[in-house]
Amino acid sequence: MFKHLRSIFLVTSSLLLVSAAAPALSAGQGGPEYKYVLHISDMDPSKQELILNNAQNVLDAYPPGEVEVEIVAYGPGLRLMFADNVNAKRLDSLAQSGVKFSACGNTIKGMTKLMGEAPKMNPTAGVVPGGIIRIGELVHQGYIYIKP
Amino acid sequence: MGENKQFKRALIGAACTLAFAAAGTAHAANWLMLQGTEDPGAAARANVWGFIQAKYEKDFSDPNATGGFVPAKLLGPELDAQDGFNINRARIGVRGTGFPLDSRINYFVLLEMGNNGITHGNGAFARLTDASVTLNYIPGARVRAGLFKTPGSEEGLQAIHVFDYINFTEMTNGLLLERFPNKGFTGCTGAIVTAPVTCSATTGNVGPYTEAQLQGGAGLNRFNSPVGAFRDVGVQVFDAFDVGNDWEVSYAAMIGNGNGIEFSNSDGEYDKYLYLSAEKKFGGAGAKSEGLKFFAWGQQGKRLLDLTNDTTANATSYDRDRAGLGVKYMKKPFRVTAEYVTADGMIWTGPDKPNFYFTNNTAHGNGADAKASGWYVEGGWYIPNTKWELDARFDTMTRLEDRINEHQFDKWTLGVQYHFNPKTRVTLNYEMRDFECTVAGAVCTAVNNNLKGVDDKIGVQLTAIF
Repeated sequence: MFKHLRSIFLVTSSLLLVSAAAPALSAGQGGPEYKYVLHISDMDPSKQELILNNAQNVLDAYPPGEVEVEIVAYGPGLRLMFADNVNAKRLDSLAQSGVKFSACGNTIKGMTKLMGEAPKMNPTAGVVPGGIIRIGELVHQGYIYIKP
Repeated sequence: MGENKQFKRALIGAACTLAFAAAGTAHAANWLMLQGTEDPGAAARANVWGFIQAKYEKDFSDPNATGGFVPAKLLGPELDAQDGFNINRARIGVRGTGFPLDSRINYFVLLEMGNNGITHGNGAFARLTDASVTLNYIPGARVRAGLFKTPGSEEGLQAIHVFDYINFTEMTNGLLLERFPNKGFTGCTGAIVTAPVTCSATTGNVGPYTEAQLQGGAGLNRFNSPVGAFRDVGVQVFDAFDVGNDWEVSYAAMIGNGNGIEFSNSDGEYDKYLYLSAEKKFGGAGAKSEGLKFFAWGQQGKRLLDLTNDTTANATSYDRDRAGLGVKYMKKPFRVTAEYVTADGMIWTGPDKPNFYFTNNTAHGNGADAKASGWYVEGGWYIPNTKWELDARFDTMTRLEDRINEHQFDKWTLGVQYHFNPKTRVTLNYEMRDFECTVAGAVCTAVNNNLKGVDDKIGVQLTAIF
């Protein structure tokens, strides 16, 4: 009988350990429940302010750490991530709050060819090979797609 | 004498500006940057914009003892009526970066189609008032070239479509909104008016005209050229610097033809302009920025003037120097502005005497080398939680200082504005004017026979910006 009790104890302990570990494992692998990708490719300067406002509104709507926001820029919209952009300080502030900025490498190549020199980018912006590809990847991962 | 003195005063004013800046703060919009640059990385290729100002005014002044009217009692630019409707400004412009990937180049173009001193009399339905390109390549030294507003007084430099009053102060209208002498001496031979008009080749006076004569086509505005519109064609180096603690220091140095919005430089001389401001920013952006700004400026130039009453072209060069300093505080619900301006040379005394207003009558002195000064204080109260704004302004100008025909113009303007939205408003102004020739003697007695009748004026103006 004691032999069976020991087995039962071991199985029960194991089950308790596994169930305690499961939420931790789930959190490490899935990340925040809500993830947004914001897309800008417009020439219209008003879209720059709009997308930054959208990003801030999304951050404000969730407790810290429970939302992910990435802004992807390509085409004329890449101007948002130029180093001398009038909104540079807002980008810096949003980046410190966890917003990720991704600049399209293809667009940078195209602009370099047009300008004769590479555009100077905001240091907070990471370069991705293709902006539209990046958007596709993020949507595939479950990001909510927003184009203001 | 006057040539270096005005600039010295400007430099002293600039030094005081910096001294005050160290002590305190305030703001108004930075017009150098707002008009000469675009938001880097966020400007349109071509942003079409403009505004319309339509107004009604009525002047309550009385004619002189013989029924004659002088310009101060009539509405410009025609100066032939005491009340009426007018489209005083209708401007359309384009501004932007042209090649948006390169924020280092921007342009600004503006066309005037309203009825005012810019367009009056030249036979064209439109007049170019601005056409400039700014190169933003050198840190701390942006270069703007073309036709644009000269760095100077706040009243002249600021955008007119956000100006809080219908009419300028007497100081700005009389000393800074330049009228250019006609190329030849202007007499009044061939005038269509008859007695009792006083007009002769030796006096060059035109008018006063009675109501019947004005209705018959008599004209009191005898200028051939458009007003200077606070503009010049030239090149300017300028920039603004964030010096910490929310302080912004701006400067501008410009050289231009000295011919307003016209393109010739027939005298071969160039006007020089210098400007300095220090501003503590409270917040906001663009034309509605808030803060406390101190500013000082100077302008130095020469003008050709033909004073001899004959057919021989023999213009002489005269100095035209202007300088000023001021302060503007803007933090809603309050606004306060004060400016002081001095003028040395080319003091004009009326549109009815384009050249003769400098007078060759030694008994009256010579406006070509006369002096003048003026100042104003104004304030506004944006009534909280409403769309209403109350404004009040006192301005004064003394021209032909220390001459036997020294004039003084005092004016109170009370105003109410209703802002339908941030781009459309209606402005109601009531002006109380006291104009007089201040020196005892026969000359002022004759002048005051006309000036004493100058009375109040009321105006309503609708401004729509698009």
